[in-house]
Amino acid sequence: MAVITTKGVEKVYNPDKIPVKALKGVDLEIEAGEFTAIVGPSGSGKTTLLNIIGGLDRPTAGYVEVGGEDISQMSDNVLIDFRKQHIGFVFQAYNLIPVLTARENVEFVMLLQNRSKTERHARADELLKAVGLEDKVHKRPAELSGGQQQRVAVARALAPKPTFILADEPTANLDSESTANLLDIMARLNQEEGVTFVFSTHDQRVIDRARRVVTLVDGRVDEDLRR
Amino acid sequence: MIPIMAWRNVWRSPTRSWVVITAIALGIWAALSLTGFATGMMKSYVNSAIENSVGHLQIHAPGFTEEYDLQNQLPPASELSTQLEALPQLQAYSMRTVVSSMASSSQGARGVMVKGVEPQQEAAVSAIEDKLVEGEFFPEMRGNAVLIGQELAEKLNLKLRSKMVLTFQGLDREITAAAFRVVGIFDTGNTPFDGSTVFVERADLNRLIIPQTDSTMVQSDLVYEAALLLHDVNQVDTVAALLETALPGQEVKTYREVSPDLELYESQIQNVSMIYLVVILLALVFGIINTMLMAVLERIKELGMLMAIGMNKLRVFSMIVLETILLGVVATPIGLLLGYLTINYVRENGIDMSAYSEGMASYGLSQIIYFDVEPGVYSQMAIGVFLTAILAAIYPALKAIRLKPVDALHSF
Ligand SMILES: Nc1ncnc2c1ncn2[C@@H]1O[C@H](COP(=O)(O)OP(=O)(O)OP(=O)(O)O)[C@@H](O)[C@H]1O
Ligand SMILES: [Mg+2]
Repeated sequence: MAVITTKGVEKVYNPDKIPVKALKGVDLEIEAGEFTAIVGPSGSGKTTLLNIIGGLDRPTAGYVEVGGEDISQMSDNVLIDFRKQHIGFVFQAYNLIPVLTARENVEFVMLLQNRSKTERHARADELLKAVGLEDKVHKRPAELSGGQQQRVAVARALAPKPTFILADEPTANLDSESTANLLDIMARLNQEEGVTFVFSTHDQRVIDRARRVVTLVDGRVDEDLRR
Repeated sequence: MIPIMAWRNVWRSPTRSWVVITAIALGIWAALSLTGFATGMMKSYVNSAIENSVGHLQIHAPGFTEEYDLQNQLPPASELSTQLEALPQLQAYSMRTVVSSMASSSQGARGVMVKGVEPQQEAAVSAIEDKLVEGEFFPEMRGNAVLIGQELAEKLNLKLRSKMVLTFQGLDREITAAAFRVVGIFDTGNTPFDGSTVFVERADLNRLIIPQTDSTMVQSDLVYEAALLLHDVNQVDTVAALLETALPGQEVKTYREVSPDLELYESQIQNVSMIYLVVILLALVFGIINTMLMAVLERIKELGMLMAIGMNKLRVFSMIVLETILLGVVATPIGLLLGYLTINYVRENGIDMSAYSEGMASYGLSQIIYFDVEPGVYSQMAIGVFLTAILAAIYPALKAIRLKPVDALHSF
């Protein structure tokens, strides 16, 4: 069953001034449990597509369904709640709350969901262990390396058991060792927790790890490979 | 966790936070000190009026204080004393004969109120004896002795042992004049009072106003004003009510009614300190807005991320408001403590305003001001700062929730 369905998604930036057509009709179905890379040249619309799928931005035309619900029609406030319940985010940078420890960051979304303290602690510790940071539980982001911060971000995204996780170039700021490490963790969690991952990347080594590769060119799906 | 986040956010820029906290604390301190000063000044003014001769309560025959018509007498002094002495709240009283008069010397003439008093009684009610700068308070065995104020002495060029003439109407409305010798000069610090009030012995005054042809009047019973001093000033209204029933038909007035300026002054001072407070808090509002706006603007990406991952607008708004309130929560005790210490110190030691005393004295204010505040002022101040912080937080918090996560995350 498709977790994410986009139908004729178009996005025009600056419609009043100098319009930029970033997406020109994207039809895509992402199945539960997939491990999908969105690739393509710079400016091809990867970030735009992920933002629209994640309910951070709205399509100019077309619609996006997540778990059968059309998110394009939701109000801002409803969308915030929807993201909290269903979508995990890993951004390229500025992922973590600087004043909270690694564990508090992982707990944060569960806290917004009013989960109990025991449940939060247990889940946070379990995930920090899964990403290999059991000894950094009480460290703040500033005390962690870039790779460690991204691993905390993955744990944070995963903690509330979202329907899927979106990651926009999660490895762009990482060296190759950290990149490999993060990909290992994401792939393993995809297997073990069965969580759906959609991530964009430029990095061939990351692309090689994906089990489905969607290539965007100039705002359109140019190629869609499963392996 | 949001309160914890807010608290830690406050300390992300410790210098900036301390600057605002210091500003708030100093604002509270300044507002308290100004209120202390104003209240102290008001109390000193009221107290000096009470001490100078008003007392806490005064009793007159109806209408007497309008025209000072000598026909409006109080009941005989001997009866009145018996009734007053029965009051447990009473500390002291003074029976007075009050006559509106013209005081003249070779230098000129001025209108004055002549208060005929019994020295011992008067000394117990008013502080005139302590305010003497020259001479004595009615030394014995002197007929027609008068105490005058420094101001009058200067205006009429009178010295100790000078003679002056008091001219007034007697009971029979005939003009009487008599020579008095200055035995003491007082300086209460209240220039208008010192220039227009003189004290003589009641026996002397009564003898002069009762016509020699009238043999039925008992001199010592003739009285026009009873000034009362209570153990506790807060009982004035209770005692006033008691006296009104005990002395039907007589006019009983509290010090506020005797000197309506006192009541006006009390309310004016309250307004003035309210204005100080509002001005200071308003200045703080802008300081706080500025700081919180900086705190929001430098966290745009982070706030965008928080909203992206599901922190709703209400929570973001609350967090910013809470951060602002926490600044106030740290600052308020510091400001209150500073203000409390200042007020307590000046309450004990006073602050010497003699550099400005010329001006102050002409308004009837003493030269040393002792700070004082009503006890409720501290909590009012705390509530004021709390409301100020909330008010100041609204704009930055709105700014924060108006951010769009995509724009915020991709801004540089
Ligand atoms: N906020 C915006 N306002 C106007 N144009 C935009 C905005 N965001 C993106 N664009 C334009 O839309 C197009 C697609 O941009 P997008 O960021 O989605 O590309 P991308 O594939 O993520 O590129 P990159 O690999 O460099 O991250 C580009 O031409 C870009 O200039
Ligand atoms: Mg991009």
